[in-house]
Amino acid sequence: MKRKFKLLILLFITLSLLSGCWSRKELDEMAIATALGIDKSGEDYLVTVQILNPGEIASQANTDRTEVTTYETTGKTIFEALRKLTTKSPRKIYFAHTRVIIFGEELAKDSIKKPLDLISRDHDFRTDFFILVAKDTEASNVLKVLTAINKIPANKIFSSLQTSENEWAPTKAVTIDELIVNFTNGRSSPVLTSIIIEGNSQAGNKNSNVHQIDALAKLKLTGLAGFKKDKLVGWLNQEESKGFNYITDNVESTVGYVPCEDEIIAVEVINSSTDVTGKVQKGAPKINIQVKSEANIGEVQCKKDVTKQEIIKELEEAFADKTKAIIENSIKKAKDDLESDIFGFGEAIYRANPQAWKEIKQDWEQYFIDLEIEIKVNFKIRSTGTIMESFQREKDE
Amino acid sequence: MFKKVGKRNIAKSNQSNRESKESITLHSNLTANLDRIKQDLPAEDVIIREFKIGTKKKTKAGIIYVSGLVDKQMIQDYILESLMIEPTNLKQIDNSDAVALLKDSLLTIGKIEDIFDFEDLYNELLSGNSIILLDGEPQGFSTSTRGWEDRGVTEPSTQNVIRGPKDSFTETLLTNITLIRRRIKDINLRLEMKKIGRRTKTDVAIMYINGVADEKVVKEVQKRLDRIDIDAVLESGYIEELIQDETYTPFPTIYNSERPDVIAGNLLEGRIAIIVDGTPFVLVVPALFIQFFQSSEDYYQRADLAFLVRLIRYLAFFLSLVTPSAYIAVTTFHQEMLQTQLLISLAEQREGVPFPAFLEALLMEITFEILREAGLRMPKAIGPAISIVGALVLGQAAVEAGIVSASMVIVVSLTAISSFVMPAYNLAITFRMLRFVLMGLAASFGLFGIILGLITMVLHLCSLRSFGVPYLTPFAPFEAKEQKDVIFRMPLWGMTSRPRSISKKNVKRQQPVSKAKPKPR
Repeated sequence: MKRKFKLLILLFITLSLLSGCWSRKELDEMAIATALGIDKSGEDYLVTVQILNPGEIASQANTDRTEVTTYETTGKTIFEALRKLTTKSPRKIYFAHTRVIIFGEELAKDSIKKPLDLISRDHDFRTDFFILVAKDTEASNVLKVLTAINKIPANKIFSSLQTSENEWAPTKAVTIDELIVNFTNGRSSPVLTSIIIEGNSQAGNKNSNVHQIDALAKLKLTGLAGFKKDKLVGWLNQEESKGFNYITDNVESTVGYVPCEDEIIAVEVINSSTDVTGKVQKGAPKINIQVKSEANIGEVQCKKDVTKQEIIKELEEAFADKTKAIIENSIKKAKDDLESDIFGFGEAIYRANPQAWKEIKQDWEQYFIDLEIEIKVNFKIRSTGTIMESFQREKDE
Repeated sequence: MFKKVGKRNIAKSNQSNRESKESITLHSNLTANLDRIKQDLPAEDVIIREFKIGTKKKTKAGIIYVSGLVDKQMIQDYILESLMIEPTNLKQIDNSDAVALLKDSLLTIGKIEDIFDFEDLYNELLSGNSIILLDGEPQGFSTSTRGWEDRGVTEPSTQNVIRGPKDSFTETLLTNITLIRRRIKDINLRLEMKKIGRRTKTDVAIMYINGVADEKVVKEVQKRLDRIDIDAVLESGYIEELIQDETYTPFPTIYNSERPDVIAGNLLEGRIAIIVDGTPFVLVVPALFIQFFQSSEDYYQRADLAFLVRLIRYLAFFLSLVTPSAYIAVTTFHQEMLQTQLLISLAEQREGVPFPAFLEALLMEITFEILREAGLRMPKAIGPAISIVGALVLGQAAVEAGIVSASMVIVVSLTAISSFVMPAYNLAITFRMLRFVLMGLAASFGLFGIILGLITMVLHLCSLRSFGVPYLTPFAPFEAKEQKDVIFRMPLWGMTSRPRSISKKNVKRQQPVSKAKPKPR
């Protein structure tokens, strides 16, 4: 018995030596960061952190203080800047709950490689946040806009990106793992969703911004930012972004339209899948894109009778052509303007023929611009919604 | 050290007591015997009645009993009346063997025993029997006239069920034995009686089913009971502590119940019951860890329902053990594990709370333990007062004053409610103790500490045995066949064998065709 006790005491002593993670911190001793913005400031980095004010968000008795606050500092390295923040912040900043990281446009044009090193190396950060690029403004400004409904602006960006990716194709939620893989594997280049401030960006800073129905400043996601490796090279507009998502099989659901008798018929794409296959023929790489889409009729503005099988057939063909055009347009933009393989066609070639890829790897940029791409779209309309014929027809007859 | 000294003291104090009475045989002179009794037992409630029997009233006799322990009506009807009034047979007393006559034909009472010395006499007298002494005979009779006030069979106060028998054991040993016998009408149901306790001479009964229970375990129980040399046994807890395998453990290795159906069920599984006079709590050995999670109702309700209820019990066990420590660990070490919204909400509640989470939890847990203990001990009439104070102090006021966070109140309440789900009160107390240990570990090492604590706990559980049976059976050692009644309960037709870990004899419980298979019409 005595020996047992001695052993137990010994065990407990070693236990206290073992605990390498002596990192106890109470919840009220830390500042929870929800968003991190990184900009360039001359040679240095300008780091902006959006910190929660928990009392304002969860408490029953709200004051008129803002729900979040931002601190910014500059530093030669991001790490230095983050530590410097403690001179401004009352508590140690805690990054595990970061929802979004936003790069300023200027920084993104330079390179996003270096800042990403810290973010993926530091143990505080998780990997479930999204990364965006601020368009026409600095990241620090984006973090200074208060949003309605969602009290935490970072959460607004996060959930808005998630829903828009699912419901409206032209955005893409990119996490850090995906991003790093995309610019390091040499077979593709990354894209990030861009965010802009709509309205008066100065007004977004104040509580009064959300004290009115139509906020003075709003955060808005707009299409994609195309990168070449780690450098921002251009912006894709809404249509081109959608094409991008069609190619990369990232369309969950979206809305498409075709003209019909001077008016428009819109469909809701409910299911879409894309197969990208590559092959190398006589040293020349080729890409075959096959899109299969299913849709429901969403809105009929013309007088066509959508209950008729022929009309549906006609519409299906029209939509297939439209989708193909969108995709082609997107590829054209990447080839001519960005000169960057944002779709990961290199990856497809590599998978199809790793041997051949070795040879064309060096000149992939040029190969990409000359790449022969075949696109096939199979579009099916499944249902016409809760009504059959449009009542536009009845009115006239 | 301490143990040894204690033993010696008891032995010493008992020695003088024993010597005075030992081996003093009864005198043939009645007056001398009665004088000795008066001298040894100078108590008001010891009644000594002298009378004369026989037609010539020549033979002197005496009856001694303790009023309160005997059924007076019985003495009146079957002893005094038959000896003093009915004259027909009494003629013979004057000239023939009075002892044999009394025993064979006069005393119309169930159980009679001969007594030859004073030790037996006092034992019988104080157990509630009446002693009859005759002048001129160096022996006496003890007649079974026990009868005292008892509580009567009532509903169990600690182990309630919705469906199932509502009777429970009482403080009277014989009643308790009867309650079990009425359930198992088997000639193999064995009953062995012992008297334990030098001063209290408490009746202790061992019950088991011969041919089902393991003889080795029966022998072991007898051996352990015989080894007990203590002055008093006031409750079965005394016996439990003296015969359990391991003292230095927070876990009970002997099961107890106040429900006759539970004891009967355990006997049928090959276990051995130890019934102690003076308490409604009957002990059962060997006891397994899982047994404390089972309630007799599991077998009275449908099997699927029993499965669900058992799941809830295991969940509640886990919650009552780790909820506060997990809360402490997650909020002070592993904030990244929480969902953001939850973290914000917790952080908001923690704003302005002056204590670290550990101290806050400790404060609340201790307050609750005090409230619980107070609720148990205080007079029933002021019961509502404590609940009002409890609700206000623990709940609203503490939160409003900003001393504790609202989430902590939720954690403590959840823990408290969970700990009351346990069907066995003694295991619930164990978890209550261990909870504090885990909280300390969580506060210093986070989840790492909790896991370490749990691993230690499981290792310790693995080392325990109850009367030779590994405590964690059928988990460790794993017994596939016994899983039928652990987490889920098989329908009764599926439980064809007794648990082999308890007894390997006569394991078959039913023919495999017990299940009804109605044919469609």
